[in-house]
Amino acid sequence: MFVGVDVGGTYTDAVLLDHEAVRATAKIPTRADLLESVLEALDIVLKDVDNKDLKRIVISTTVITNLIAGRKYDKVALLLIPGPGLSHRYYDFKTKTIILTGAIDYRGREIVPLDEKEIVAALSELAAEGYKKVGVAGKFSPRNSAHEKQVAAIIQEKYPDWQVELGFRAGPQLNFPRRAATTYLTCATREPYRNFVNSVRQALEKRKISAEVFILKADGGTMPLDKSVEQPVETIFSGPAASTLGVQALTPPDETEVVVDIGGTTTDIALILNGQPLLSAKGARVNEQLTQVHTLAVRSVPVGGDSLLELAGDEIVFRPERLGPAYCMGGPAPTPTDALRVLGLTALGEEAKAEVAMEKLGAPLGLSAAETAGRVIDLIADSITAEVEKMFLEWEQEPAYRIWELLQKRKVRPSIVAGVGGGADGLIPQIAAKLGCDPVIPPYAPVANAVGAAVARPTLQVSLRADTEQGYYQIREEGFQGKIDKRSFNEQKALALAREKLLERAADYGLAVTPDEIEVTYREVFNMIRGWDTSGRLYDFTVQTPRGITCRIEKGGK
Amino acid sequence: MSMSNASEKPTGLIFFPAFDWAISPTHPEREERLLYTRDQIFEEGIMDLPQVSEYTPVLATTHDIAMTHFCVPRVEDQVTEAHLIAAGAAILLADEIVSGQIKNGFALVRPPGHHSMRVVHGNRGFCNINNEAIMVNYLRRRKGIKRVAIIDSDVHHGDGTQDIFWHDPDVLFISFHQDGRTIFPGTGFTNELGGPGAYARTINIPLPPGATDESLLYIVDNLILPVLSDFKPDFIVNSAGQDNHFTDPLGSMRFTAQGYARLTEKLRPDLAVLEGGYAIETALPYVNMGIILALAGLDYSAVLEPDYQKFRESADLAGQVRRMVDQLLQRWAKRDQVSISQSDMTGNYFQHTKRIYYDTDNIQENQLEKLRLCDNCPGYLSIETKANHGYGQTGGKALCLSIPIDACASCRTEAADLYEKAKKARTYSYVYLQDKSADLFLGYDTANGKEWRSEGS
Ligand SMILES: [Zn+2]
Ligand SMILES: [Zn+2]
Repeated sequence: MFVGVDVGGTYTDAVLLDHEAVRATAKIPTRADLLESVLEALDIVLKDVDNKDLKRIVISTTVITNLIAGRKYDKVALLLIPGPGLSHRYYDFKTKTIILTGAIDYRGREIVPLDEKEIVAALSELAAEGYKKVGVAGKFSPRNSAHEKQVAAIIQEKYPDWQVELGFRAGPQLNFPRRAATTYLTCATREPYRNFVNSVRQALEKRKISAEVFILKADGGTMPLDKSVEQPVETIFSGPAASTLGVQALTPPDETEVVVDIGGTTTDIALILNGQPLLSAKGARVNEQLTQVHTLAVRSVPVGGDSLLELAGDEIVFRPERLGPAYCMGGPAPTPTDALRVLGLTALGEEAKAEVAMEKLGAPLGLSAAETAGRVIDLIADSITAEVEKMFLEWEQEPAYRIWELLQKRKVRPSIVAGVGGGADGLIPQIAAKLGCDPVIPPYAPVANAVGAAVARPTLQVSLRADTEQGYYQIREEGFQGKIDKRSFNEQKALALAREKLLERAADYGLAVTPDEIEVTYREVFNMIRGWDTSGRLYDFTVQTPRGITCRIEKGGK
Repeated sequence: MSMSNASEKPTGLIFFPAFDWAISPTHPEREERLLYTRDQIFEEGIMDLPQVSEYTPVLATTHDIAMTHFCVPRVEDQVTEAHLIAAGAAILLADEIVSGQIKNGFALVRPPGHHSMRVVHGNRGFCNINNEAIMVNYLRRRKGIKRVAIIDSDVHHGDGTQDIFWHDPDVLFISFHQDGRTIFPGTGFTNELGGPGAYARTINIPLPPGATDESLLYIVDNLILPVLSDFKPDFIVNSAGQDNHFTDPLGSMRFTAQGYARLTEKLRPDLAVLEGGYAIETALPYVNMGIILALAGLDYSAVLEPDYQKFRESADLAGQVRRMVDQLLQRWAKRDQVSISQSDMTGNYFQHTKRIYYDTDNIQENQLEKLRLCDNCPGYLSIETKANHGYGQTGGKALCLSIPIDACASCRTEAADLYEKAKKARTYSYVYLQDKSADLFLGYDTANGKEWRSEGS
């Protein structure tokens, strides 16, 4: 049996899955203490279960979001090694930042060495200012991490109690400013996140639960609880991933779907294209900073069931703020929920009150309560569909760098609008109608997020880059370098090497992966031509364990 | 990263490295060419800057190509998808600039195009079709842009662009490059100044090998900018070749990334389009960064090649460049006082013959070009062309008729009549009529008697 838990801002949801059926669900208000919320929800769904039958628990939490939003961490300084390029004055990571001499180029060659004296001086400056946490990030460090590691070694020697995070691990993609921001966040959150992980571990031990525990990532993959400490920031924004995976598990396979999660004041939209959740082309924006954290492509619209409605001239508009619950539920002002109530699209609240709210709102325009409610629903549905259209357009216009990629781009249209989260479901048919889709409220929609967590599977990847002219290869995730023979090395060997490293990594993570399950998700081979001759080859491969969900939910449980 | 000048429009960038396209496996125009540029601009996070907006290209249409080039026998025979994408990228950015979405743009694309002439029998100097010319003709036909200046900063003479706009008084073409006596294509001398109706609207600045940023900036300040300020273009294009770089394997010049960035900053082109540049590791990542930052109004002072140095120029070389600039300025001053030499006249036509060599495809082309001289318009152009594809394999003759955008009614009628006559005469394997004033192209295959046409939509 599997359990999925999703700790959201307002509610914490949990489900218990037995094979392909939902056996139990829980929905409780999220407490100030996240762990308490997790345990409370767990206890509900595990009430009649023998803990020995429990194989896996997957948790999606807002722990990182809360840490970052509340700045609940020690101060962190950045040591950057940008080398030539964009002027340093455009870097603003909102923290103490010192620029160091040194440069690595795109092929990982050192072009400017480090200056040890300068590093030592920078460290004393940080020490004097009371810093004990440092992120070190260099331009092109994923191509050669030697400079970052050298700086780390100096710190370790002089200030052994400092915490140091290196850019090539935190941000292994090509994008230096995002690497620096991700390194900063990793450094800031690792310790408090580790405390969270430890308390989860202890609490489960106390309950004699020995199931494997995984943490959901923003890209819909999971990491074993202990390993998640290595990349804490990846667990941010896992909520939308949970909902989207839930829809994937609860609706027919291979569909192109719009996942709409209407909450109190925001609506999250995600896309499933031909059965696969769409990943965002670039990393997440965290605290106004662009990072390298992989996420699903999610758009948030500042409108929800509790949004404040008012008149602006002779138009009805919504405001992003929430004054309280809907008028029909004792709140102070008219909301979309009142409109749904008047039209009989929800059973929440008191009908009479909803009528009053809509009547008051529409009176200056000479509209009846029902007419006003109709306009409100139209307005909200329009603003959500506009965002959906923008998402499809953005996806279509994502840059391509190869001819075949550009030529194969085609228009994909959704066939289903799936509503999850349980808020304002009455809006889903309106949105679907505007998009020419079928509306679907899947079974277990109110806890689809927890279902998504339960069916999420661990994903691991390994990126190998080999440069036969320079005679070495490296594994990006590990900063590991090895020698290769320039003449005999070829594509097959490169792939075999990447697969081998992935299997090693999987074993380390305790994941059972067979070689034939490994997918090649990125493949780049370039002949290096120097003066009309081939002087070498560049191989860039990413291999990963299979993505997707562990199962579809076929039948209802209780 | 911090934002500044949020109110200012961004620079539009299309990066299309065509990683799956090469002329041949070991040709310099190869898949790998923009690989390290990709690495550099991605690693710098350029696309994340609020001052830069990345676009994905669309394909140009065969009609867009046919309104600039006479592709023999047809457009489809001379271009691949890669060419349509590169030309389409330039058009897309130009559209965005004219409609005010972006302040300027850079089509960082391949394959290049500035050696492609009006008639296309094959690939010359790594080029099949001329991306900038196709874009400029598009703007003039469809967007009401009248006066355009094209500044070619490739180490090789932009002979294709020169050929296409040779008779066009509204397109100013300025090329500076390494002296044609020392490099392909062997043209681009100071006496190549344009056709009789467009005198000095072509300006060539052949630079001695070894010239540095100093001479580059001297000609920009003392020749190009003053000429531009007289000409008052509605749209400025930079054919941004990067093989003037001190590390380029084909050129012998000594420009740096800083020089290219400064050039861009001074020139303020609306649209830059990549041309050549084959120092793919030592130059391109840095020069392209410099150009992007300069276009976006960002500080480029830290864009330095690993072996950057401030090169010194000999006084001799500098003096030579100064004298040439003076001489060209005098020609420019007298641009409207030139009369046609009678020896080039045949009736109402100004005519001359041309031999064009296609180095990549080893084709020898012979042309007889006739310009109809007209008091009311720039006159239509007729080109008789015949190509020799090596080993005595000779294609048939083709007749190409081109009507300029502001043609008078009688020139249009005359050219249309000529087209119909040539179709019947059966002297030519192919006959083409390119009517820019009507945005219409007609082609005729004599062997099968079939005509095809395309029109602007
Ligand atoms: Zn060139
Ligand atoms: Zn005329």
